[in-house]
Amino acid sequence: MPVRIELTYDMGKLLGTQQVEVEAGSVAEAIAAARARFGEGGGDFDQLAKRTAIAVNGVLARHRERLATKLSEGDTVSFVKAAAGG
Amino acid sequence: MIKGYAGRVLEVDLQERSFAFEPLDEEIARLYIGGKGYGTRLLYDRTEAGIDPLGPANPLIFATGPLNGSVAPQSNRFAVVCKSPLTGGIGNATCGGSFAFGLKKAGIDVLVVTGSSEQPLRLEVDGDADEVRFLDASELWGKGTYETQRILGKGREHAVIGPAGENLVLYAGIVSNERIAGRTGVGAVMGSKRLKAVSVTGSRKLEMEDPDRFREYTKTVRATFKDHPVLGESMKRFGTAAIVNTTNGRNILPTRNFQKGHFDDAMKISGEWMEDHALKGVKTSCLHCPVTCGRDVEVEGKGRGKGPEYETLALLGSNLEIGDLDTVSEWNYHADDLGMDTISLGATLGFAMELGEKGMLESKLSFGDASGVTDLIHDIAHRRGLGNELANGTKRMAEKFGGAGFAPQVKGLELSAYDPRGSYAQGVEYATTNRGGCHVQGASMYLESVGPLTINPQNLKLKADLPIVQQNLACAINSMVLCIFTTYGIVPKLVHEMDPSSRPYRALAFLLENSGPLFRWAQSIKGSPMLWFEKWLTLITGIKFSSGHLQEIGARIFNLERMYNLREGLSAEHDTLPDRILHESTFEHLDSGHPLGELLPLYYKKRGWDSKGVPTARTLKRLQVEV
Ligand code: SF4
Repeated sequence: MPVRIELTYDMGKLLGTQQVEVEAGSVAEAIAAARARFGEGGGDFDQLAKRTAIAVNGVLARHRERLATKLSEGDTVSFVKAAAGG
Repeated sequence: MIKGYAGRVLEVDLQERSFAFEPLDEEIARLYIGGKGYGTRLLYDRTEAGIDPLGPANPLIFATGPLNGSVAPQSNRFAVVCKSPLTGGIGNATCGGSFAFGLKKAGIDVLVVTGSSEQPLRLEVDGDADEVRFLDASELWGKGTYETQRILGKGREHAVIGPAGENLVLYAGIVSNERIAGRTGVGAVMGSKRLKAVSVTGSRKLEMEDPDRFREYTKTVRATFKDHPVLGESMKRFGTAAIVNTTNGRNILPTRNFQKGHFDDAMKISGEWMEDHALKGVKTSCLHCPVTCGRDVEVEGKGRGKGPEYETLALLGSNLEIGDLDTVSEWNYHADDLGMDTISLGATLGFAMELGEKGMLESKLSFGDASGVTDLIHDIAHRRGLGNELANGTKRMAEKFGGAGFAPQVKGLELSAYDPRGSYAQGVEYATTNRGGCHVQGASMYLESVGPLTINPQNLKLKADLPIVQQNLACAINSMVLCIFTTYGIVPKLVHEMDPSSRPYRALAFLLENSGPLFRWAQSIKGSPMLWFEKWLTLITGIKFSSGHLQEIGARIFNLERMYNLREGLSAEHDTLPDRILHESTFEHLDSGHPLGELLPLYYKKRGWDSKGVPTARTLKRLQVEV
């Protein structure tokens, strides 16, 4: 089913877009589909995805079923970096 | 006198145009350190209940602590304490810049300004000559904070207000360089006294218990900061704006007056975008701070100015559905120059937009539309037309126009930019923090939803303990006075480098989340100084400070603030969150909002308060809080 993926800024810069639509039924499938956009073998994806968490509609996948978390049509899967602000 | 203190309180009476240097009260310093703690003690002791916050009886207290003037990184901050005209309770704010350093050089720990003047005045304080000059400020009245400081010139450190403070905008702030003591309307209190500026100078040296070890140790800390992923890297590169994409990804970025937690154009107001598109290579800092979290940006066709911080980007950006960095930067410039808090300003604009949308307020404002907002910001500062209504903040606007359920405020102070529906401990913190809905009086969200090691933010585990530890720590930090961002350095580099999906990371997060009272107990151990600010305090004052000591002092300050609020009529019924936050869900898997009702009784109990939120006699005695 179609879901939206929000990339990190650096991922988006490389791909020329910050958001991609992919077909995926789970978080694992969504990550694989995003990775495929970076070329064969994932290109720089693995490096850029390092130390990012995955959120589905704002909830971290690790607080749900992790990679097996099921997705519904229209869900937003975000790559989230840890950060500090004020 | 304890080392690290200048040993003097400067008392200024604007009515009488008189001044006196009095000795610092060592007992208060031992119990409350300085800064916010010392200021709160003075405010409590010297004022009657129910005074008019904008009347001459409300003292305006500028207070430093033993770290100020020491050249330790992040230590050029002062606290301002008074009764808040916005909340009617405790008012306080801290500010960077260089004024704190100036006060200590002048040999002043605390400056207390009482009374008020008929004519606009400014003060020139010469700490070497022990002299205070009361100067006419009619020529400066009406001028912005930047121009005022330019006219006052170099050679002295200044704290000034802009037109917002002069016109008693209830969320006006006090500015030093490009930094602002923004929250709770401290600038309006200064304006009510017709005091435009305070300038200080002096050449006194700070005496330390062990200056050699302090110098050596500070070198080590600087090197650690340089290598730290937050203090040495992300805040340096992106400032606090580093966090925009993170809160957006976690669905807690205020959008459309807190109707949503996600903004599709967040990337365009992010720190990364700022670095690529607008940053002019100049990073700015408060005096002596190597973190340099400030930045200069170029606004197309308008020139250069201070880059907005996270709170500003969220409240004036996503919250109004404005995904344009130039526009937010321009509004940020005007707000700083006019001297007002961008958090309250953005939240009030968002509230007015929703009121307008619902037909409850006549205005042309609408979400996603920047037209007319620049003029309105000026109208707010000068209290003209609709601006006169917005100058009173969301609580008073709701009383007049309705919409209390979606007015984003607690105790009258507008909420900061972490939607508590996705950060439960932060919500408890907003509800209970004595100055109202603010994030930097604890910053629980760092360990809960945005930092390198986070717990599940949407269950009840640790959600009553975490705010207590964080609020206590923040009270102590704001009394030293150090920048609260220093606490981001507590999570070591090693943790930042862990993969959040790895087993060790998950095990660590599990341990933290399930540590409960153990977490608080661990913080309360009075051992040896471990963290840099504990060691600095110890090396400067000669008094041993550890995490346990700071938790105790922080709890003392927090409880005294609480007693002040109770005295002024703020009680448990004000420890709440807006109906929207409590009852409207922004997460599809939840039917409701924040579970405050379940957490608050637990929080009261752990604080040692009764079921009505009043500190028990035992708690006050244990903490040596005299009321
Ligand atoms: S971290 Fe930023 S706000 Fe804090 S003292 Fe340094 S420059 Fe100022």
